[in-house]
Amino acid sequence: MASLINIDNIISSPAADLALQHEVQQFYYREALLLDNIKYEDWFALLDDDIHYYMPIRRNAMQRRGRARASDLAEYTNKHEFAHFDEDKATMNGRLRKLLSDYSWSENPASRTRHTVSNVIITEGEEDNTLNVCSSFIVYRNRLETQVDLFAGERHDVLRRSDNALGFKIAKRTVLMDQSTILSNNISIFF
Amino acid sequence: MNKEGTNAPTWSIDEIKKLVSDENGTLDARIYNDEALYDLELERVFARSWILLGHESHVPNTGDFLNTYIGEDPVILVRQKDASLRVFLNQCRHRGMKLSRDDAGNAKAFVCTYHGWAHDISGKLIDVPFEKEGHCDRLDKSEWSPLQARVETYRGLIFANWDEEAPSLDEYLSDSKPYIDVMFNRSEAGTEAIGGIQKWVIPTNWKFAAEQFCSDMYHAGTMSHLSGITAGLPENVTLNDIEIPTDGNQFRAKWGGHGTGYYVDQPGLIHAIMGPAITEYITASPQAEAASKRLGSSMFGQRMMGQHMSIFPTCSFLPGVNTIRTWHPRGPNEIEVWAFIVVDADAPEHIKEEFRKQNIRTFSAGGVFEQDDGENWIEVQKLFRGNKARKTKLNVQMGLGDSTTEHPDFPGRIGGVYSEDAARGMYQHWLRMMTEPSWDTLKP
Repeated sequence: MASLINIDNIISSPAADLALQHEVQQFYYREALLLDNIKYEDWFALLDDDIHYYMPIRRNAMQRRGRARASDLAEYTNKHEFAHFDEDKATMNGRLRKLLSDYSWSENPASRTRHTVSNVIITEGEEDNTLNVCSSFIVYRNRLETQVDLFAGERHDVLRRSDNALGFKIAKRTVLMDQSTILSNNISIFF
Repeated sequence: MNKEGTNAPTWSIDEIKKLVSDENGTLDARIYNDEALYDLELERVFARSWILLGHESHVPNTGDFLNTYIGEDPVILVRQKDASLRVFLNQCRHRGMKLSRDDAGNAKAFVCTYHGWAHDISGKLIDVPFEKEGHCDRLDKSEWSPLQARVETYRGLIFANWDEEAPSLDEYLSDSKPYIDVMFNRSEAGTEAIGGIQKWVIPTNWKFAAEQFCSDMYHAGTMSHLSGITAGLPENVTLNDIEIPTDGNQFRAKWGGHGTGYYVDQPGLIHAIMGPAITEYITASPQAEAASKRLGSSMFGQRMMGQHMSIFPTCSFLPGVNTIRTWHPRGPNEIEVWAFIVVDADAPEHIKEEFRKQNIRTFSAGGVFEQDDGENWIEVQKLFRGNKARKTKLNVQMGLGDSTTEHPDFPGRIGGVYSEDAARGMYQHWLRMMTEPSWDTLKP
């Protein structure tokens, strides 16, 4: 079966060099600050020109022996199926344009979010200047008077070395959300 | 609980009749959030209406099943050996546990995970563990299978209805069928669903969602979706450069509460939602010309644009965008949206892919259009907690008295594209379902 993520390779990979680990984590902390402080243009500028921002839909599926969860296409929709997000640079630019308009009601007033990123595991990238990075996130969202949403999940990124201020651009991000039915009225924020 | 199996029905038929006025175009806000009315709705609307469960292509092979809902009742939709479809309550008759717990799959049997009562794919109870030792041959298994619903299809769409007395799906759809066909009968090959059903929760009443798709072109180009439109404009074009279309119509079904609206010959909105490739495919491609032949006119095949439609109570879709969904009610104050995408089965692969990507971009939980719908509906719903706000008389008067059945191009009762005649039709049918217990008076 074609696999979404090879989780076994990540689990068995050697620990990354301490300096590299530090560098990548510091990148994520700063990236989270951009999102949490609604610095939309700065965050979108971190997406490289070949960005693939992808969030498949997750389903309830009976467990079968030998099936690894994150690579299981019974549990996740495949690339030819429906998804929550399946974006390239052009559609992400459109989303930025929506956010920056005065009429983007779902984020105007803006949500208060807190992106917490942890469990960072770095493995070798496919190109010399890229890294594959697996991480976990918990995102708290509070908006308007009393709305609270809590999202948790796993991110699988391809980070590419860059001469920008934060040292990396995001070339690919696959978000595995820990919800099958999304328990929120929309997904108007990014992960 | 009363005899009807509902909680505290404090509403008399006469009281309910005062909540909605088709004649005056007014609504009482309590129809959206009253608990007792909602309990009556589950009984009188959801247990008597045809509810969209899925598409034939969701369950192509024997034993393929889909777990879904009629109202708040979980049901299993299963393809049978003879290619027919069955729908039955996802509930074991022993202690009421679910018989199937994954979203979809293929089954040879449905075995309850509580005590192991086993059912074949038609929903028939066939095996009870320790039957001989425990029941000593006194259990008549034929008496203890889960409740079956009626299942009927229209153009690949699967609907179910608990009520044996209800009219057939064909009668139920009434004179709305030509308008459904714009999306579902474009090609001899029919349609197919793109895999994956997106589900999300919106704290709002189901009628807001159903009514918007039934009758509300008004919100799209006035306020709600301006930022969604902006997201799809070419880099050098702004909102100031585009003109929101005004030419088009709205249709109100003569029976059943169904409705639709659309622009004519004005691709502005559909272009902003779906982009140039899909706009060309549905208005000017060889496939679009073939659709015109099949549907009997270029009007129905190529010239209706940006169409919205609802089949009462909770089936809604957007021809041209090709999203379709059921608004499953979860109490008066919440819905679960179950949305999927359909495409012409014989559409070129790149067109199918474009439909998939544009739906994800626009009409989905994260879609640049649909995000903002969720925002409006939850705010309104919350407001109705107020003592005065919930008693507010609401205005649904647009186009009152303006519709005609004499339109040269469109059959049925037709008004302008910015109208609320279809909304009035939806609420009037809701009122009839809520106040007429017998199909003798209610039937088409």
